[in-house]
Amino acid sequence: MAYEGEDKILEEVTGKAYEFGFTTDIDSDKAPAGLNESIIRLISSKKNEPEWLLEWRLKAFRTWEDMTEPEWSHLQYEKPDFQAISYYAAPKQKKVLASMDEVDPELRKTMDKLGISLEEQKRLSGVAVDFVMDSVSVATSFKDKLADLGIIFCSMSEAVQEHPELVKKYIGSVVPVRDNYYSALNAAVFTDGSFCYIPKGVKCPMELSTYFRINESGTGQFERTLLIADEGSYVSYLEGCTAPQRDENQLHAAVVELVALDDSEIKYSTVQNWYPGDEKGKGGVYNFVTKRGICHARSKISWTQVETGSAVTWKYPSCVLKGDDSVGEFYSVAVTNNMQQADTGTKMIHLGKRTRSTIISKGISAGKSQNSYRGLVQIMPNADHARNFSQCDSLLMTDRCGAHTFPYIETKNPTAQVEHEATTSKIGEDQIFYCLQRGIEEEQAISLIVNGYAKEVLNKLPMEFAVEAQKLLAISLEGSVG
Amino acid sequence: MSLASDKAQAFVAGLKASSGLDLLAGSGRQAMSDLPVPTRKSERWKYSSLTPMLAKPVTTAPVPKGWPEGEPANPIPGLHAYRIVFLNGHVVTEASDFPIAEGVVCMPLSQALAEGRIEAGDEDWSHYHTREWIGAVHAAHFQDGLFLSLDEGVVLDRPILAHHYTLGENVASCPRHRVQIASNAHAEVVLWSSASESSSGMVNAVFEAKVGSGARLGLDKVQHEQGAVYHLAHEHVVQEKDSTFRIHTVTVQGHWVRNELNVIQQGSGAHTMMHGAYLPKAQEHVDNHTTMDHTKPHCTSSELYKGIMYERSTGVFNGKVFVREDAQLTNAYQQNANIVADAGASINAKPELEIYADDVKCSHGCTVGQFDEEALFYLKSRGIEDRTARALMVQAFVGDVLEGFGQEEVAQEVKRLLAQRHGWM
Repeated sequence: MAYEGEDKILEEVTGKAYEFGFTTDIDSDKAPAGLNESIIRLISSKKNEPEWLLEWRLKAFRTWEDMTEPEWSHLQYEKPDFQAISYYAAPKQKKVLASMDEVDPELRKTMDKLGISLEEQKRLSGVAVDFVMDSVSVATSFKDKLADLGIIFCSMSEAVQEHPELVKKYIGSVVPVRDNYYSALNAAVFTDGSFCYIPKGVKCPMELSTYFRINESGTGQFERTLLIADEGSYVSYLEGCTAPQRDENQLHAAVVELVALDDSEIKYSTVQNWYPGDEKGKGGVYNFVTKRGICHARSKISWTQVETGSAVTWKYPSCVLKGDDSVGEFYSVAVTNNMQQADTGTKMIHLGKRTRSTIISKGISAGKSQNSYRGLVQIMPNADHARNFSQCDSLLMTDRCGAHTFPYIETKNPTAQVEHEATTSKIGEDQIFYCLQRGIEEEQAISLIVNGYAKEVLNKLPMEFAVEAQKLLAISLEGSVG
Repeated sequence: MSLASDKAQAFVAGLKASSGLDLLAGSGRQAMSDLPVPTRKSERWKYSSLTPMLAKPVTTAPVPKGWPEGEPANPIPGLHAYRIVFLNGHVVTEASDFPIAEGVVCMPLSQALAEGRIEAGDEDWSHYHTREWIGAVHAAHFQDGLFLSLDEGVVLDRPILAHHYTLGENVASCPRHRVQIASNAHAEVVLWSSASESSSGMVNAVFEAKVGSGARLGLDKVQHEQGAVYHLAHEHVVQEKDSTFRIHTVTVQGHWVRNELNVIQQGSGAHTMMHGAYLPKAQEHVDNHTTMDHTKPHCTSSELYKGIMYERSTGVFNGKVFVREDAQLTNAYQQNANIVADAGASINAKPELEIYADDVKCSHGCTVGQFDEEALFYLKSRGIEDRTARALMVQAFVGDVLEGFGQEEVAQEVKRLLAQRHGWM
């Protein structure tokens, strides 16, 4: 058995977490490293999945085996060894710390700056939460309210058991198994994720967030999210959180699928702050995510993302504008510092008539990082009177970093109107000088300027998220002006 | 061996190996077998397929006896220029008119080689053949070309016209031009390519230039090829300190065209202007790939490409702008505007910026749209009929590219040809 090498691998992989005082119990309920059919059967049986899902996974695995890792991105990294990863582990129990004093002081400092409440700090850092502010019970009360409206919001595993007809109908319908290397891998080995269904005509009364599912967190590195908005419904979904996430998994290959049926609207906001590695570029998370939504007639999908973490980001939240008069939006702020690399953007595929899309991308590069926007706007022959507007701005903070733009514009319709513009410039020295003159310190001045620059995107975030995201930008760029 | 490379082998089997520049030709032959034949799977060839070209093998035409009767050696009425003309890749000296002046060397490339004017190790500036299979095919089979060298401070009194004419079926032409302008010298070159109505085959052309410090080079490049010629052009221009390079590339007509233009600024204070226009119709395909490489500080570049795709034609624009780490205070601007005029036509545009320096001003814009209906209405309400109004608007749209030609006669002739082709009169 491969269990002998297991401890070593685990130690290596979890090395990061140890630095910050977390301990991870090496539980026995863990699959040996490596990827083969029997591992997939093991995952499926552990999760008590129906036969069709197992078949789907196996098919995905065979597809993945035939595929090669993509190399077209503007990224340089050591390719992950897929046979060195363990693909199944029962939810880990983090050691509960007795008080906030045991938490890594650096982490505390960051959380203070972000303005995260003490209670939430405790939750995030694994400190036992006192009874007065039991967020679990808060979450439960939210759940009741959602259930009254007929909204299904649960983990993917739960959905597979309780709503197999919905899962079967929609899983892989937006991001097919064959779509790309990582989506195929995810389909084969995904362990959990979120599932959400909004019934016809229901406006979800609150921002849905995995935050409410804290007792079910720890969904692992191969997350799969499926969100379905039925006709005429509305939902706003939040993913991630601003607090730094020290994750022991190096590779994250998630898949997010959104289905917006006729007249519905989905707003999907992400704040990503995974561990970016140290200043020399050692360690850090590889974030290879496939996110896509399909818009039926008169529906709307809006992606908003604030990306500050991860050593390597490879992510293109996309919209397939299939229905007539549907709308796709993409708002992004991507910050890279030190040795981080990001290759991110979107795809807007216009199929329906009078479909509209807007892309606003703001890149901020600091340190020695490389930040690329890569986007595709495709107007198919039937998409009469389709309209796209794209704007990609890059801000450079030092003379060692890079900012790149790779837009693809493919138009096959004479009535389409597509506009793309991109600018790259340095952070304004005169603006910093202006602030300094008025007694505003340099760090604060930069924070002000950067937030002003990214305002168009930050404004699209739900309010609480936006406040934290602003502070996050400032922290991510601390000491970055060269 | 794969089907694709079998086809490629058959395609080039009838080409005659080049003589002279043995090192280059030898490494070209080697690279032909080492490099992959481009397919649409490779990013650089994503929108342009060579498959139809490779399906019909081509042969090198024999050395011509003279210039074909009835065909003007100078296709531009009124242009007073020195002239070097090529028929199917071979130079036709009788129909040419070389400048004779102090500090100017202008002759066929073959003659320059025979006179030992190209030193060993300096025969190739672009290394195109080591990067692309098409470049390797060129290096192994190039025939002749323009050799132009200007000494320090020399200013040519007239432009130089290099006219390439394709005549015959399944002809392979591989002209290779080399221009070097010493510091503070100035030359204007017109590159004109034409083809007879019944011609077909491939034109695989390379143009390499070095523009010395403070020197100026202007290039008017026009493609007006009837017939079914696959035209692959590669221009490589190296600019020194404070030099200026200008190019206007206009594709009036061409069955299948791919223009690759690479400009490298190797000295500070250099300025580059790259302008282009393409108006394909029927099933024509026009691809413009440009690379602007800023490697030194205080340089500027401005790029403007405009295209109108008619009927079932396809247009491709890929503009890369690099700003290297040392190239602080660069000011780079790129603009690409397109009109898809008919259902069935398409445009694939990819403007790219890769920036590694911070104190720079770089921007690009890319649009795909239609004619402004309101402007059209304005014209029509003043009694101008629809067809004329549209023609006026097209001329206005591409006008800012056409007006910029170095030679007024070239601009006039291009406008006349376009008007004739698109019924603007």
